[in-house]
Amino acid sequence: MISKDEVQNLAALARLKLSAGEVESLQKDISNILDYVGQVSAFSAAATDEKPLQRNVMRDDTPRAAGDTLSGKEEVVRAAFPTREGDFNVVRKIIQKDE
Amino acid sequence: MSNLNELSITEASKKLAAGEVTSLQLTEACLAEIEKRNGSLNAYLEVFADAREQAKAADSRRAAGESHPLLGIPLAVKDNILIEGRTASAASKMLEHYVATYDATAIKKLKEAGVVFLGRTNMDEFAMGGSNENSAFGPAKNPHDESRVTGGSSGGSAAVVAAHMALGALGSDTGGSVREPAAFCGVVGFKPTYGAVSRSGLMAMGSSLDQIGPLTKTVADAELLFNAICGVDPLDSTTVQLPAAKADNKKIGVPRALLAQGIEPEVLAQFDQALKKLQMQGYEIVDISLPSAGLALAVYYIIMPAESSTNLARFDGVRYGLSIKGETLLDDYATSRGEGFGPEVRRRIMLGTYVLSAGYYDAYFGKATAAREVLRKEFSAALAEVSAIATPTAPFPAWKIGEKSDPLSAYLADIFTVTANLTGNPAVSVPMGTVARDGADLPVGIQLTAAHGDEATLFSIGKALE
Repeated sequence: MISKDEVQNLAALARLKLSAGEVESLQKDISNILDYVGQVSAFSAAATDEKPLQRNVMRDDTPRAAGDTLSGKEEVVRAAFPTREGDFNVVRKIIQKDE
Repeated sequence: MSNLNELSITEASKKLAAGEVTSLQLTEACLAEIEKRNGSLNAYLEVFADAREQAKAADSRRAAGESHPLLGIPLAVKDNILIEGRTASAASKMLEHYVATYDATAIKKLKEAGVVFLGRTNMDEFAMGGSNENSAFGPAKNPHDESRVTGGSSGGSAAVVAAHMALGALGSDTGGSVREPAAFCGVVGFKPTYGAVSRSGLMAMGSSLDQIGPLTKTVADAELLFNAICGVDPLDSTTVQLPAAKADNKKIGVPRALLAQGIEPEVLAQFDQALKKLQMQGYEIVDISLPSAGLALAVYYIIMPAESSTNLARFDGVRYGLSIKGETLLDDYATSRGEGFGPEVRRRIMLGTYVLSAGYYDAYFGKATAAREVLRKEFSAALAEVSAIATPTAPFPAWKIGEKSDPLSAYLADIFTVTANLTGNPAVSVPMGTVARDGADLPVGIQLTAAHGDEATLFSIGKALE
């Protein structure tokens, strides 16, 4: 069983705010699931020599006009901004006065 | 056939070509059925207000001389596939008001063909679940018994096809999300070979597992839709044209050792009936061994959460989606994500974070990746001997809404479907009769898996089962 601290730590790593009761239920659920998926540890060491078939497929660098991909759709993108000022998306200052 | 909405795509297509019906009539018939049943089934999250206009446009295109088998066919689309200018929420509060800025490649192709989009269908939030109970907007209900789940995650798409509220639908399949709801609702669900259909414009869940696939009334319809959406796409570098390296015989392999436990006896009885039907049509049923297949579910529930937690890291409330301000910037992220994602999505993000964290990576993700390659080789070896592998699609029929409260017990529904996503093989679920539960006849499905690129074999065996 993973500890409550581990659950809190995972939540911090995953940037998720959890409710109080949720820590206990996640502790139980995640432990159960980890016990189940832990079956893979039975897999023999030789198997780890297997190389995946997946590979990166790269495309050629080709120059495009600025704003090409969004041309004509700027307003749709702006409309999704959580807080908007004119054409700009308002974001929080990274370094704040009190820090 | 009395009602136009009950036609298959293939039948409707013939009638459209012959001038016996118009797209507007087909669309009106579906909308009338939606009016009757969607209130209780909750299968559509939104019915598009311009469906009739789309149908009229399709009729004009036909009048102007255009012809495509899908021109004027009314279809439904899962809520995680982007249609420009329309809401795409992935059944999540995180994206409740999100409007798509471009068309998914599959949608672009269907628009060119002249399809009418009726609406967007309910699903498990971000495609995470096998029952549609994880939707932020309430579960879709099974048309065969409304107290039961539709299966998932493409539950709404399966329900609208089963209830004749659309002639067909698109879903997405990461671990069985097209096939399992198709089995539970009694329709055909098809997952193409990984790389056959572009993932551009499909909200990413497990990028190495995801495929868009059709849910339809017949195997011929699934083939028609698949042929319309497949193809290499510069916007998805994993799309490939695969030469089918297939066994040229009429042998179907059954991994009997895998079916020895955990399957409800009536499901197994229907499965054996389906195999008999195939035998009578000249197929030879042989026993095959897939020694590592028993590990597939464990492998899947490591790889999928790892990829999902990575893909869902983009939702931070800064540029789009739910945004809740906290005390600090970090707080903004954590609060937006905490409130925006539902319990199952949070659980999988946490699980993915765990299996990818330093110290656990080798024990979980490393082992799972290696096991995945072994599985792929076992499937390739088996499919060099037989044309297809058959199993039930799920070990049991649709369960009662709320019955499986423990997440792990719900994951077990995916035991036969996840393997094709791990190995990239194409797989289809075809109805194989019903089993009786509490006075209702609940559909069950048979799953067939073929070699990479050999969708043709699945279509021909599927048709033999109908």
